[in-house]
Amino acid sequence: MNVASNAARLVTQVLAGEVWPPLGDRHGFRVDPDGHAFLLPGMGGVTVGVHCGDPATGHLGDHVEPGLSVRHRDPAANEALQYLSCIGNAVVVASGPASGAEGFVIGQHAYVLVDLPEAELRQAAPGDQVTVFATGQGLALPDHPEITVKNCGPRLLAALAGGTLPDGRLEVHVAARIPAEAVGAGTGMASEYANTDLMGAYAGLGSDLSLGLERLRIGDVVALADQDHRFGRGYRAGWVSIGVISTGSCRLFGHGPGPSTIMTGPAAAFRLVDDAAANIGVLAGAATGRAR
Amino acid sequence: MTGAARQGGRDAAAAAAPAGAGPRAAPPAALVCVNLAAVVEQAAAGPGPYRVGADGAPYVPAGDGGIVLGVRLGDGVFAHAADHAAPGACLTHGDPAAACALAAQACIGNEVTVRSGAAAGARGMVAGKRGEGGRVIAAFAQPVLARLRPGDRVAVRSRGQGAAELAPGVVLRNIDPWLLARLPVAVAGRRVSVGVRAVVPGKLVGNGIGRPTPMWDLDLQLTPATAAGYGAAGLRLGDLVAMTDIDARFNAGYRRGWASVGIVVHGGSPQPGHGPGVTVILSGPADAIVPRVEETEHDGLREGVVLDVAGTDP
Repeated sequence: MNVASNAARLVTQVLAGEVWPPLGDRHGFRVDPDGHAFLLPGMGGVTVGVHCGDPATGHLGDHVEPGLSVRHRDPAANEALQYLSCIGNAVVVASGPASGAEGFVIGQHAYVLVDLPEAELRQAAPGDQVTVFATGQGLALPDHPEITVKNCGPRLLAALAGGTLPDGRLEVHVAARIPAEAVGAGTGMASEYANTDLMGAYAGLGSDLSLGLERLRIGDVVALADQDHRFGRGYRAGWVSIGVISTGSCRLFGHGPGPSTIMTGPAAAFRLVDDAAANIGVLAGAATGRAR
Repeated sequence: MTGAARQGGRDAAAAAAPAGAGPRAAPPAALVCVNLAAVVEQAAAGPGPYRVGADGAPYVPAGDGGIVLGVRLGDGVFAHAADHAAPGACLTHGDPAAACALAAQACIGNEVTVRSGAAAGARGMVAGKRGEGGRVIAAFAQPVLARLRPGDRVAVRSRGQGAAELAPGVVLRNIDPWLLARLPVAVAGRRVSVGVRAVVPGKLVGNGIGRPTPMWDLDLQLTPATAAGYGAAGLRLGDLVAMTDIDARFNAGYRRGWASVGIVVHGGSPQPGHGPGVTVILSGPADAIVPRVEETEHDGLREGVVLDVAGTDP
């Protein structure tokens, strides 16, 4: 993105995390929009075969978390890991057969989600240690004081299309525009933690549930209408939040593919450009930023 | 026959078997009444004193949980300088699983009896529920409330979950059916007519969306500045509110052509994504739930009902 920022002043913290197992309870089933029970894989563990650019609604899963799902055992250290990890941050596997493999953060979802190349992802398992080079919180755009940036590593900012326009607005390319009606679970929570579940993306279920979001892809950059995510996630008419789809298919009602927020501001501060290629998959081939 | 009549009065839980039914005819299923133990909650805070409001201002939350004096059914949802203030006392249970059962099974209209402390023997009524972790809001007469202390033990005579549909496709949730007769709810043929303070678009439903409605309320993202734009400037605790395109039969979520109705159980909040909270009591196809907007002359759940249940102050 062609925009001035304070990236040179950011610090990087080296954080430890652990690939966390999926968690269940003895009842197993959850309930879909029509009241039918389901049992599907999704949160936690190492989810192979799903990467940036893949359909977000194309799997039989619930809250599908691509790649590694990472937490820390200590609750306070975990909160730091969740709040400080930013999209695009470099992550290195620090134990187990995948040791040394490098990937990047694609979002938060009460886990830090990490995309790794498929061959190395297949070697990873819950319990493996990872190192996150966390940088990005505090990132600001001095020419766009109305826009708040969060959860966005400098490497992601550099890789995004768009930038400052002559009229002063920030051009952002988005793969989809999300109506306020779609905003589900995650509302009212801190916008540096977990993500915003989008309803209306239940591929294969009733048309009365659809908001036309069945074609979202993992890693898509999207614009959420009427959302102010500066101090938590909430509705504010005339505002926009920009997010990156970090989680995929859902069957649980009121939930769905979820964007982690990277920018928020008045709609008038942005020029949104519809661009099907607006996806953070470009980071897979970009410089890691680890040397920062 | 109305759903309320079919499911018996307040003290008629076991009397639902019809007279004259053949010896082998299965009786209509009766609602089960379970006495639950609960404890009056102490308001709790996080590691720091502040929360952050939607405009970025830090504030110290007052009135969020525990025993709150002076907040009453019928008060405006923005009348108090408080965060999520509920009319009465919040109840919980020390065991997390028991707290979840308490929230899931307690229904609005259930009788609450104080079993220990200075208010022992006094009665109140369940007036709502709160999200996350299992909490129930119990309304009492103000003098009783003033004698309560966090840690006091209470019993909730739970009944209501499992109630039959009020009309085809229209489910009842979180309400003891006897109470319907005291609310502006009428069944006419295949439709349910409901007097409400306002009809709120589903996109304003915030915290609580995607959660199981027996255990969470739905916060309406309304502020003193925006409520008038939705006809909700006069919104009061205990009012009935309709939400469009919200299916709240199981989890709450978006479904076009659906409507849900709830009772306002707590007041506004400065936090983004939060606001006056609604415990869902009805959900069904929009063509079967007919809200009548009573913007100025609306009577929802009011203190008189609580006092009728509570009886004479002991």
